[in-house]
Amino acid sequence: MVDNMEPPPHILVVDDDREIRDLLSKFLERQSCRVTAARDAREARRLWPLGRYHLVVLDLMLPGESGLEFARWLRSQSDVPIVMLTAMSEETDRIVGLELGADDYVAKPFNPRELLARIRAVLRRASGEGNSTQEPPAKAIRFAGWTLEPARRRLLNQDGVEVPLTGGEYELLMVLVERPNRVLTRDMLMDLLRGRQAGPFDRAIDVAVSRLRRKLEDDGRNPSLIKTVRGGGYVLAATVEKAAELPQGLALAGGTAP
Amino acid sequence: MIRRLLPCSLAGRTALFLTLALMLVQAAGLTIHALDRLDLQRIMLSREVSTRAFIFWRTAVLASPDRRPTMLQEVDLMRGLRADLSELPAVRPGMPPPPLGLAELFQVKQWRTLPPHLRPRTLLVAGGPTMRDLVVASQLPDGNWVNLWLSVPVLRPWHSSAFLVAFLLMTGAALALILWATRRLTRPVSALARAAERLGRDVNAPPLPENGPREVATAARAFNTMAERIRRFVGDRTQMLAAIGHDLRTPITRLRLRAEFLDDDEQRRKMLADLDEMEAMVNATLAFARDDAATEPSVPLDLAALCRTVLDEAADARPELTNEAASYEGPERLRIRARPMALKRALANLVGNALNYGGTVRILLDGHGSGAESSLVRMRVEDDGPGIPEDCLEVVFQPFRRLETSRNRETGGTGLGLPIARNILRAHGGDVVLRNRQQGGLCALVTLPA
Ligand SMILES: Nc1ncnc2c1ncn2[C@@H]1O[C@H](COP(=O)(O)OP(=O)(O)OP(=O)(O)O)[C@@H](O)[C@H]1O
Ligand SMILES: [Mg+2]
Repeated sequence: MVDNMEPPPHILVVDDDREIRDLLSKFLERQSCRVTAARDAREARRLWPLGRYHLVVLDLMLPGESGLEFARWLRSQSDVPIVMLTAMSEETDRIVGLELGADDYVAKPFNPRELLARIRAVLRRASGEGNSTQEPPAKAIRFAGWTLEPARRRLLNQDGVEVPLTGGEYELLMVLVERPNRVLTRDMLMDLLRGRQAGPFDRAIDVAVSRLRRKLEDDGRNPSLIKTVRGGGYVLAATVEKAAELPQGLALAGGTAP
Repeated sequence: MIRRLLPCSLAGRTALFLTLALMLVQAAGLTIHALDRLDLQRIMLSREVSTRAFIFWRTAVLASPDRRPTMLQEVDLMRGLRADLSELPAVRPGMPPPPLGLAELFQVKQWRTLPPHLRPRTLLVAGGPTMRDLVVASQLPDGNWVNLWLSVPVLRPWHSSAFLVAFLLMTGAALALILWATRRLTRPVSALARAAERLGRDVNAPPLPENGPREVATAARAFNTMAERIRRFVGDRTQMLAAIGHDLRTPITRLRLRAEFLDDDEQRRKMLADLDEMEAMVNATLAFARDDAATEPSVPLDLAALCRTVLDEAADARPELTNEAASYEGPERLRIRARPMALKRALANLVGNALNYGGTVRILLDGHGSGAESSLVRMRVEDDGPGIPEDCLEVVFQPFRRLETSRNRETGGTGLGLPIARNILRAHGGDVVLRNRQQGGLCALVTLPA
């Protein structure tokens, strides 16, 4: 299925449950991936130099050294994409993981097809955007007074008040802020969004844009932030600034419980 | 009637009874004191009356008969004393005898023992029209009579303003003291009531201080022991649920993977659907058991945007719905402090119920009210469905409780949506209750502190 990539991607799976490890390996192999499996962080470290992996699927709950520690070590070694397996309850771990530079996550008990979709999307981004994954992930993205925090998937207004977004709105906003002042046609947006999100982006782009404008206090009849381009397309008219650290006040307001 | 006048607080009632009793005692005490003083006053006034009467008499005796009328004109009389000079005595046969004690009071007897040149030739004494009057007729040496009408002055104790002032002052002081004391004494009782109320909302509420008077300390200790036992009970149950939920995740993951290797597409689809349902149950159970609301930090949040987000996500998840099925009415922005993920979950549960059982959903958000209500944000989540029988409106908040009607409808819920929503809202200091709407359908009334 991953036919357009000449060598099959080589994936390192780290999970402590033998059954899951074996089944997941078999499942991914059926989708024409090469899979190496490790029981824990120690084995993974041993296996790491032995192959050239394109992606690591990492369970955060590992016996001994935790998945987070391993992810940190891995980041010090290479920029290999990481997809984390987390439990719903490990909200804080997930945020730390994303801040460490993991590329995506799926919650356990995961749906194998969703995991596959995420793996594909991450691989595509890694190969398509080339060097861009090398820069450390931004902790805060600022534009026109607004602040986006990717790890927590949240939007704050200029007073630090959280303005909740739906998954679709968030994805759309991320696509827009990553390409400020560039005209994006509906087709381009559809493409970009599908690459990010598992499952279809089921409401029309226009609906999503109008919802987003409303939340961004952008006047729908005379928008100044997300402008409509004649001939079908949108453009985010703002300077976007990426920060590697959270602003002090915001970090405090949103700090997770210890 | 009396019931309605009775204050409803313990302190109020105690204060009222104590004050009434004290007023009674005071009134009695002050009256006794006043009567006592009056007696003295009456004696003194009577003495004065008799002294003046005697002066009148002496003037009459010592004056020469021709100058007598003018001299007598100059003698000061007073209230309670009338006198005249006449050829006839004012005491006639047939008049009542002098009232007992009055003759002594006016010292009439002493007139008989006066020195000879002052002593009346004849002294007639009789009672007047009332028991307070005395008529004295004494004959001058020339045969004329000096007639004296003496009466005991009437005194009205309650006419003294000092009495009223004293009464009011003392009552006021006593009232203040009593109010202060009863408030103090009943404070532990209201503290106990408040603690019990808090425990009902949050099992982890802080314990009561075990100090104060012996009875109060004992009650507080008993209460704390009970709270501790409830806490342990709830904790055990929660831990068990969490453990089960946690352990189920691995087998569900395995089954999902295994299902991918099934060749029969139909069977695989069904198996995956079952697994989805199981996962939803596990997640709900975990959410209920873990009580995330307690650990998530509170941040400033736009509640209006949250409502829209929850509605949009619910509508997106149900593509078969029309655009009007989920609507929002309220302010564009409403800033509150809350735990975003927990609150979102609570609202999503209410919105999900409205859509599952009613087919439509409307969120009506009230801005910050005014006056005393300004500290509360009110929200209604309404649908046009069948509603819930009146006697089940509270019952459905019990965990795992689903109504028969919904079991038959294959909506496939766990029965944890409402209890989770209520736990979260209460942890925020708010609450949620259900009401059937008059026009049909259910309304969830949500309150949140602003
Ligand atoms: N809007 C509504 N209209 C009619 N009945 C309702 C409504 N909301 C709740 N109920 C009744 O209350 C019961 C309990 O609701 P609750 O949300 O706790 O559980 P559930 O919806 O059955 O399962 P889930 O855990 O998936 O939410 C429901 O089973 C349903 O019978
Ligand atoms: Mg429900």
